[in-house]
Amino acid sequence: MDIAVLVKQTVDMDQIKLNDNNEPIMDNLPLKMDILSKNAVEAAVQLKEKYSGKVTGIIFGTERSTSTMKEAYAMGVDDGTVIKGYKKSDPAVTGAVLADVLKKSKFDIIILGDQSSDSYSGLLAGILSSELGLNVITNAIGIEIKDKIANVTVESENEDITVETELPAIVSVAQEINEPRLPKVMQIMAAGKKNINIIDGNPDYKDDTRIISDKAPESQRKKIIYEDGKGIDEVAKILKVVK
Amino acid sequence: MKALIFSDEPKNAREILTYLRGKMEMDVISTEDKELPEYGAQKVYFYKDGFVDNLSKFLADHISKNKYDFVFISSTNIGRELAGILSYKLKMKCMPEIFSFEHGGKTITKRFFHGGKTVVEEESDFHMFTVSAGICEAEKTDKKSDVSNINLDKSNYKIINVKSKNTAGTDIRNAKVIVSIGRGLGSEENIKKIQPLVDELHAEVAGSRPVCLDYKWLSEDKQVGLSGKKVRPDFYIALGISGQIQHIAGIRGSKTIIAINKDKSAPIFEECDYGIVGDLFTIVPELVEKLK
Repeated sequence: MDIAVLVKQTVDMDQIKLNDNNEPIMDNLPLKMDILSKNAVEAAVQLKEKYSGKVTGIIFGTERSTSTMKEAYAMGVDDGTVIKGYKKSDPAVTGAVLADVLKKSKFDIIILGDQSSDSYSGLLAGILSSELGLNVITNAIGIEIKDKIANVTVESENEDITVETELPAIVSVAQEINEPRLPKVMQIMAAGKKNINIIDGNPDYKDDTRIISDKAPESQRKKIIYEDGKGIDEVAKILKVVK
Repeated sequence: MKALIFSDEPKNAREILTYLRGKMEMDVISTEDKELPEYGAQKVYFYKDGFVDNLSKFLADHISKNKYDFVFISSTNIGRELAGILSYKLKMKCMPEIFSFEHGGKTITKRFFHGGKTVVEEESDFHMFTVSAGICEAEKTDKKSDVSNINLDKSNYKIINVKSKNTAGTDIRNAKVIVSIGRGLGSEENIKKIQPLVDELHAEVAGSRPVCLDYKWLSEDKQVGLSGKKVRPDFYIALGISGQIQHIAGIRGSKTIIAINKDKSAPIFEECDYGIVGDLFTIVPELVEKLK
């Protein structure tokens, strides 16, 4: 089975500091594999281990994305392409760039994370399904494959629904699908030596949005904090209105 | 100006209708809901057995035919799938996850970015949006909508199994008082130690992501946060919740936030109205006594 996994590299958002103007300081932030991309890689590698085949990792990123591809290799991805040219979160552009590369090979299943942890857009799976003319199922917590059919379990509010779809298909995964493995030292070392295919993406970014501001929201809260055993009377008084 | 609103969840559709009311004319497409025709739409369309394929086909035709100026799709699983497909099919770029929309000559929207750390305010001429749940509190109007039913084509996807989850029934998004627990509670066992407070306040119990998804002390439908439910109670009482930015994004609509945490530097104290630094297992029983 030929499996593609789309991997996103993000800045480590927990490390973002704010300047005096409450704006994020984006310089020199460490990069890492996005949380849900780890689940996507794990899901892809598990499918390979269960049904045999090959996993191809694809990152739309920059020159600096090779470290994330190596991490994917260490987790069990066989082959990887880094597409250079990523500038900003724009699902339409990302979809077009990834579709161009995906079209050149035949994959039985394309796996990605359901929503990325920077913007939570979650539009990419739908865009790719249109670009490639494939079925799409999102927020998967289980994938079973029989011949050319995938049974994908999707979680919703009150029930888990298993949906049957023909392959090839695009499946985005939720964090609950698995626990991404921690690669062993040997695997990390071997991954470092593996070749990464680096190509230019030539993304067609349009100047169609203008950022007016990008700031940490200012808290309107009262922030009355009690310490040393104080505050219970005050809080009780406030909560009395409930009763 | 005229907008189409889509949500598979009528609750979200009601919120978006309320939010946009007065700004433009609106039609809405959703699943069967008795109250939805009371929220100010001109036309309400109900569908059944909607999947991404038959819905995207219907919506693409419907949007082209009716020449809507704007399309607002509620950010749910199927909503995001549809927005991706429709933005491609109709060549309408989609601004995702907005929680604020103003339209003068240009459109100005706001959404969270960097995992909820910042709010980006953007100017664009986009016509399609996914709307973050909980954009406002839904309110009815006097005007009644015309209601009709949509017949969708048969889907190529087949549901082969449905497993009901063990959810406790109440929707925390409707709660007036929420007692929410975090990792600081220590164990599932300890939930009974905070139960008297829940009972005393007739509250609903909710939790942070680790509590609901990683440790499973509570069911998933009780998760509050950017990737869970966005709640807007009168009182949100956070017990042992550190207040990661993703969690804060889910509680911003709360009227009053009260936090109890032993870690003085926990970020929740930057986002609460009243905070008590200390051991929740001694503070909660005292609080319950005082409330009696």
